[in-house]
Amino acid sequence: MVDKHDEVKKIEVDYTRLRIPFGPVHPALKEPVLLRVTVRREEVLDVDVVLGHVHRGIEVLAENRNLVQTLYLVERVCGICSHSHTTCYVQALEEIGGIQPPERALYLRTLIFELERIHSHLFLLGVMAHEIGFDTLFMFTWYVREKILDLFEKVTGNRVHHAMNTLGGVRWDLNQHMVDDIRATMKDLQKSVHRIYNFFQDKTVEKRLCDVGVLSKDDAERLCVVGPTARGSGVDMDVRRDHPYAAYTYLKDYFSVAVREKGDVYARTEVRLLELFESISLIQKVLEELPNGPIRVEDNVIRLMRRIPEGEVISLVEAPRGELLYFVKTDGKEGLRRLKIRTPTIPNVLTLKPMLVGCEIADIPVVVASIDPCMACANRLIVVDATTDSKKIVDMDFLRRRRQA
Amino acid sequence: MNTLIALLLAFPLVFVISLLFDGIDRKLHARMQRRIGPPIIQPLYDFIKLFSKERIVPTTASSRIFTVSPIFAAVASIMGTSILLANLMLRENTGGDLIVVLYLLAMSSVLVMVGGSSSGNPYGAIGFSRKMSMLIAYEVPLLLSILSVSLKINSLSYYDIISVQIAAKSMLALTFPSMAVAATAFLICIPATADAVPFDVSEAKTEIVHGPLVEYGGPFLALFKLAKSASNLALTLLATTLFFYLPAVFRVYALPGLSDLLICLVFALIFWFLTITVPRTIFARLKVGQAFKFYWLVALPLSVTAVLLSVLGL
Amino acid sequence: MGIRLVASSRVKSPWLFHLNTGSCAGCDIEIVAALTPRYDVERLGCVLVGSPRHADVLLVTGPVTRQMLPRFIRVYGQVPEPKVVVAVGTCASSGGPFMGSQMVEGSVDKIVPVDVYVVGCPPRPEAIVKGIVTAVKRKFG
Repeated sequence: MVDKHDEVKKIEVDYTRLRIPFGPVHPALKEPVLLRVTVRREEVLDVDVVLGHVHRGIEVLAENRNLVQTLYLVERVCGICSHSHTTCYVQALEEIGGIQPPERALYLRTLIFELERIHSHLFLLGVMAHEIGFDTLFMFTWYVREKILDLFEKVTGNRVHHAMNTLGGVRWDLNQHMVDDIRATMKDLQKSVHRIYNFFQDKTVEKRLCDVGVLSKDDAERLCVVGPTARGSGVDMDVRRDHPYAAYTYLKDYFSVAVREKGDVYARTEVRLLELFESISLIQKVLEELPNGPIRVEDNVIRLMRRIPEGEVISLVEAPRGELLYFVKTDGKEGLRRLKIRTPTIPNVLTLKPMLVGCEIADIPVVVASIDPCMACANRLIVVDATTDSKKIVDMDFLRRRRQA
Repeated sequence: MNTLIALLLAFPLVFVISLLFDGIDRKLHARMQRRIGPPIIQPLYDFIKLFSKERIVPTTASSRIFTVSPIFAAVASIMGTSILLANLMLRENTGGDLIVVLYLLAMSSVLVMVGGSSSGNPYGAIGFSRKMSMLIAYEVPLLLSILSVSLKINSLSYYDIISVQIAAKSMLALTFPSMAVAATAFLICIPATADAVPFDVSEAKTEIVHGPLVEYGGPFLALFKLAKSASNLALTLLATTLFFYLPAVFRVYALPGLSDLLICLVFALIFWFLTITVPRTIFARLKVGQAFKFYWLVALPLSVTAVLLSVLGL
Repeated sequence: MGIRLVASSRVKSPWLFHLNTGSCAGCDIEIVAALTPRYDVERLGCVLVGSPRHADVLLVTGPVTRQMLPRFIRVYGQVPEPKVVVAVGTCASSGGPFMGSQMVEGSVDKIVPVDVYVVGCPPRPEAIVKGIVTAVKRKFG
């Protein structure tokens, strides 16, 4: 619970400043992160974010496993956006091996992607409601979310960790029952999301969410934030539109990107609510345009894996939290030389400092929830060479040179 | 002698009724959220289970204040409520007047605060300062509304106010405008005293990990929860009997037995539902500054108006 | 009769504390989903409390990472007796896909004694509820 570790609450010289450890074990946080918050009475003066509590060494483990085993390992980087991770990884491998999955597979990937976006945003809205003490909205949002998890179970067999992707396509196909179920659920969902939108415009909710945790557009661009956190501050970026992948190349004209200028918690929440509406209409479009055909290139995945030569690729997708980037370097012998995962939470978590300074203690869980932190995604290492004390960080030029369509 | 017997009878009665009302509140809260909810006697199971747990006193706590505050808080709350019940049972002024009851209820709130800050946990300290702000916010309107009733009736004794309603065969709040305003101010103050959302800043689970209660476990927690339930019962009972004494209208008071006490308890439950359960379900939590502003801008003017009106004779 | 009353109260009101020792959050969202109206674990008397001092049942998820190890031991010490530990998920029961990593201790039972293992990746909320009820009945009933 309250972690004092080696530093008990440090009372600074002027006796009004209190340093409180917020986390890593805290009822507001579902995942461990340590925020060392310096407060004076109720006002936050400084925040120090300490990550690393969920570091499991996935990138190291990936170097000792073959490509297909890594697919299932990479799915468990994060439970909420697991399909995004597998899609990104599998896209990278398909690029290296020159494998083109059939169109039906791309559409099915997109379908699960958008369903995951809906489930993740509903999750976040419920958690946000719980942080401000509005338990009834939390119960209602998660009740609606259960219907999406039912759909996942019908199509892929599991509520979380769908394992839908495989090298060269997807593993499960839709039959007419499932299509009808999805259509019916989307209709119900439209009404429920409207109700949730109205709930979020309630007076007490507005008082907690408006003008809190403001991130200006300059700060957002300087700190390179991604996803709804950026779109809530006026930065118009979305990988689905700017660098389309999977079926988004064909669906580019059927969705719009929601952007808000204000930059406070309410703006970010509103961006996510609007994205819910977009996702619902995208899913309905996908079901309309679903082409017939096979769902994977080859049934025997091991044979495909053996065909993948040495190569390196950077792959981008738009996970529910923002832009997810994978750098995959294969060694031509069914293994990986290097796997580097840059999840959207890593740049987003840096914004906690400019957002929280000047807020009250009561705003801390609300602001932390508004960037939609997925701490399990955000614990990566930077390799520091101790002899030369140099850090190798990938910069924009390198990315531009290496990004292959 | 009668007083002593009535008080001794009232102690276990308060225990049972407050836990029962707490259970009904949880059940209704769950039903409003489309869930099934715990059985109504769940708080009794919680109480017994908590008493059977290990007694832990943290090393950073001042142990004497830490261990003694829950006991005193529970005793103060139960005594305050028992005085009210004894008055209703014996149908005369016994035990103590309104000042004693309000003092005991305020004491139990302050002891929660003090116990929390004595635990040595920074979250306890934050809970202490928040509860202090809330006390300043809601105690004044609460006391002023009771003051306006006493000014009207020219007495501070509990049963005198009830006798006036019986003699007039009508409810106080419906006869005089000053009493209606005072009743509104009193009802607005109840959610803050009961630490119910939207005014439960001092015991926010997601922000400061239960505030003053963070390091309390086992029997201490059981006593604090009992203190809270008993004080909720006292406040709702005060709200019904001082302002809306229904048996006066039905003339049930003349019947033998305790049927008027039962009617008062049923109405206390209804007021508990309206002022504690419903706000808990439909509102989000306000911040300390916002809650403070609400009470000083809404409840305080109402109670001051009530005092002025009752002085003017309305 | 007194002992029977105490035992039955302990079974009917298990208070839960959820501790994430480095999991991917899959098991955590299923634990929180157990509170929602579809599964409603509160009808069994369970409440998700915020402080380990109030809890009876410690729900542990995740393979215990190196950074969370000292905090885990500390939280375990803060839960008052009698307590029950339920290891939720494959990672907590055996280390899951992270076995062999140097950053991860592995299964929870290398650190604290575990009463019930609920396996699955992640286990369904119904399985978690059944795990809690079995653990509580066996230890307290």
